[in-house]
Amino acid sequence: MTEALQNIFWILVFPGFVFTIVLGLVACWIVRKVSALVQWRVGPPLFQPFYDVMKLMGKETLIPQDGQRAVFIAAPIVGLAGVLLLSTMLWRTTITQNDFVGDIIVAIYLMILPSLALILGSSASASPHASIGTSREMKLVMGYELPLVLAFIIVIIKTGGQLSLAEITKFTPALSISGMLAFLVSLLCIQAKLGFVPFDIAESETEIASGLIMEYSGPLLAVWKMMQAMMLVALPLFLVMVFLGGFGTTAGWPLVWGIGKYVLVLVLIILIKNTNPRVRIDQAMKFFWVYCGIALAIAIILASIGSYYDINWL
Amino acid sequence: MKEMNILYISVFLPLIVGFLMLFLPNKIKSVSRALTFIISVVTFVLGIKIFTGGESDYILPILQLGESLGGLELELMLTVKPLGAFILMFAMGFGLLITLYSLKSVGANTKRINEYYGAILLTIGGTAGILLSDHLLFLLVFWEIVTVSLYILITTGGNKSNFAATKSFAMIGASDAAFMLGVFMIWKLSGTFVISNIDLATNSTLSIIAFLLLMTAAITKAGALPLHTWVPTSGEYAPVSAMALLPAAIDKLLGIYLLVIVVREIFDIQPGALTVVLSIIGSATIVIAVMVAMVQHNLKKLLSYHAISQVGYMILGIATCTPVGIAGGIFHMLNNAIYKCCLFLCGGAVEQASGTAELDKLGGLGNKMSITFTTCLIAALSISGIPPLNGFVSKWMIYQGVIKMGTQQTGGTAGFWPIWLTCAMFGSALTLASFVKLIHSIFLSRLPDKLKDVKEVSPFMTVPMVVLASLCVFFGVFYHVPLKLFIYPALGIEPGSAIFGTWMSGLSTILLIIGIGLGLLIWLFAKLSKNVRIVPTWTCGEVQSNESMRIPGTHFYKTVSRMSGLKQLYSGQEKGYFDPYDQGGKAGLGLTAFLKWLHSGVLPVYLTWVVLGLLIIIFVICKVQ
Repeated sequence: MTEALQNIFWILVFPGFVFTIVLGLVACWIVRKVSALVQWRVGPPLFQPFYDVMKLMGKETLIPQDGQRAVFIAAPIVGLAGVLLLSTMLWRTTITQNDFVGDIIVAIYLMILPSLALILGSSASASPHASIGTSREMKLVMGYELPLVLAFIIVIIKTGGQLSLAEITKFTPALSISGMLAFLVSLLCIQAKLGFVPFDIAESETEIASGLIMEYSGPLLAVWKMMQAMMLVALPLFLVMVFLGGFGTTAGWPLVWGIGKYVLVLVLIILIKNTNPRVRIDQAMKFFWVYCGIALAIAIILASIGSYYDINWL
Repeated sequence: MKEMNILYISVFLPLIVGFLMLFLPNKIKSVSRALTFIISVVTFVLGIKIFTGGESDYILPILQLGESLGGLELELMLTVKPLGAFILMFAMGFGLLITLYSLKSVGANTKRINEYYGAILLTIGGTAGILLSDHLLFLLVFWEIVTVSLYILITTGGNKSNFAATKSFAMIGASDAAFMLGVFMIWKLSGTFVISNIDLATNSTLSIIAFLLLMTAAITKAGALPLHTWVPTSGEYAPVSAMALLPAAIDKLLGIYLLVIVVREIFDIQPGALTVVLSIIGSATIVIAVMVAMVQHNLKKLLSYHAISQVGYMILGIATCTPVGIAGGIFHMLNNAIYKCCLFLCGGAVEQASGTAELDKLGGLGNKMSITFTTCLIAALSISGIPPLNGFVSKWMIYQGVIKMGTQQTGGTAGFWPIWLTCAMFGSALTLASFVKLIHSIFLSRLPDKLKDVKEVSPFMTVPMVVLASLCVFFGVFYHVPLKLFIYPALGIEPGSAIFGTWMSGLSTILLIIGIGLGLLIWLFAKLSKNVRIVPTWTCGEVQSNESMRIPGTHFYKTVSRMSGLKQLYSGQEKGYFDPYDQGGKAGLGLTAFLKWLHSGVLPVYLTWVVLGLLIIIFVICKVQ
């Protein structure tokens, strides 16, 4: 009974919903503030993302009459639950140094859930703009999934066949040539998963009027915003755990180190976001399949040679 | 004695009744329907009894030749083994569900009802025979019965189905010939036809050839590359229920069953060149078939290509030669049969309700056919490997098998594992893409004007789909149950020793439900504050007709099919360059043209041939002496 209550506490408060959402909204603020600084603006106050979500909660919800209503309403909710599970799983693993819920394969598959929810939700809204968004988002998923799998293979080679996330955090694959390549490519994949420039093709406001989430409004849109905020916590944390050695075990300096790594990843993402124009979907797919694919194929060969001859820096 | 009868009845009752039914006049339809339904229920119950009854056998001597004739003994040996018994139970279950579905789905468009039901019974009996025989020759006979009944089932699909049926029969028949040749090579090597007495090593050329021949038979039946092309062709023309029964479910079960028997019992395959061959076939099947599936415009063809693609995972799992990989492969076989069968049944329901299987003529049916939509969505997410459904679990096990093979086995061939893993995991993302297109085009998007009056299909058709979709969820959330009940005992694996990853499916499902509850609270908040309004689609002020706003999913992946490099491959595939049946046909025509050219009708030419032949014969005879 106590275990069940503990589980519920984990998912609802710490490190689940409350913790992740607060951290996510703060991360949102960091994204907006740093972007503003890059563009020589002042930027919003710390509480602006909170205000945005709260305001949306009080707004009217419009539901398209030709759409599939159940899917339209359920999609953001399922997406939120998926990210919540992923975030809880990653934080719990970091804190207790024991696998919770699943291993790295499970994490990679859970990361598909929010994109899938977005796709189904937009597809259910019966809008032609949203249909184009659906198609683009799915192609983007197809695009980055290949380099992500290759990067995952490099991690497996570097850690000698470990699947457990807790074990993987004891290694630091980014301290080698192949691992660094894998980390950089995964960073771009995360960029695409978050839907940030240059990979905001599926939403592109100026072109297809935020495609995927065009028909969403009010609390349902707030759920999408919350989901995106939570992804901003979970996805960089995944990179930190898998490539950069995680948070370490005890409080104190390791915690500072861990937060430093997280902020580093976040700032890298923001800088990429602010220094690139949006690409077309065919360019994005070609970039992920051909250039990232070839880079990581070479990295896999390097890593295999490295593990065969015990050369750790390869 | 009682148990012996069970085995005997479960094989010969459907076979005899089915055979007789083929000759019944078509006027007494209701008799054959009722009879098929009753017999499929009986065989399903017998299947459960056989599975729960444990190991037993039944021997019926048929032929005994004297010593002078080689001392050949022929006995019909029916043996219950854990692997065969659990597959038998599920195969009989599929038979029952498809019969139930057929009661409403078949009949309107075919006049050959009795042949259809007769072939279904023949399939059921033949399947039981294959899974119970311990004698290779009888296995071969039952194997042929299933091939023939597939032919009959495809031909009931209407005018154009003859071509598809012939193609399937030619390809599977050719692989059956390879099977027969392989069986005789095994007899030559081991001196027996009894599977449990054979244990060969692949150290001689003959044994390697025998292995490859048997493997060819298994993968053709299961529908793996490069001998897969009969599946999409028959998928287009055969009745959907027949597709759901054979290529989607039972052919997979049988093909993979044979592969497991060949790899683990007849031969003792160790990691090496042969497993690399299997891995190449598996990985290539996964990626190539799914790439082709992605660009299909026809619902049934798309599903057929996925039926091919999924076989790759099973073959790859078996090729890893690790307990977790093989268990994952077998589990995937079972899971695939469940969700693939469900998808075909959903496809059939959509086709029957709307009158078309072309994706660009469909759309927005989710509101009209909510049961079909829900079951199809569950099966589609399951085949794409979305946690916590069953397809995820078996794929996850196969990935572990590949990783374990790569990191723990030594030797040069294990070093290729990144390629297999990339194909498998990337193939999973492509599968998702393909099914997003399918769900979008059929159930979401916008309803075409022509389909305003579509209604949900009859409960006879929805019940099998609901049963299969619930199995998808159950086997995913409580995956330990099927693993402990069916898979581990069948393979002799100690429970708990195989899987080395972590996936707490039950806990994560509860947590997901809590998360969904949280989201629902937010939605309830919106609903209670009465701030919900239903509005027409926002078109930025332009007035548009419904038809002009429809965007079907058929053009979703044009970006992929237009990529340089892939474009040429796609167009070659479209023209049948990679189809062994088409290419074999061309080679055959070339050969006959050559023979025609030889037969010029001029006497001196014939005489020259005769003399030449005579000279060769004399030379050979002299050489031998």
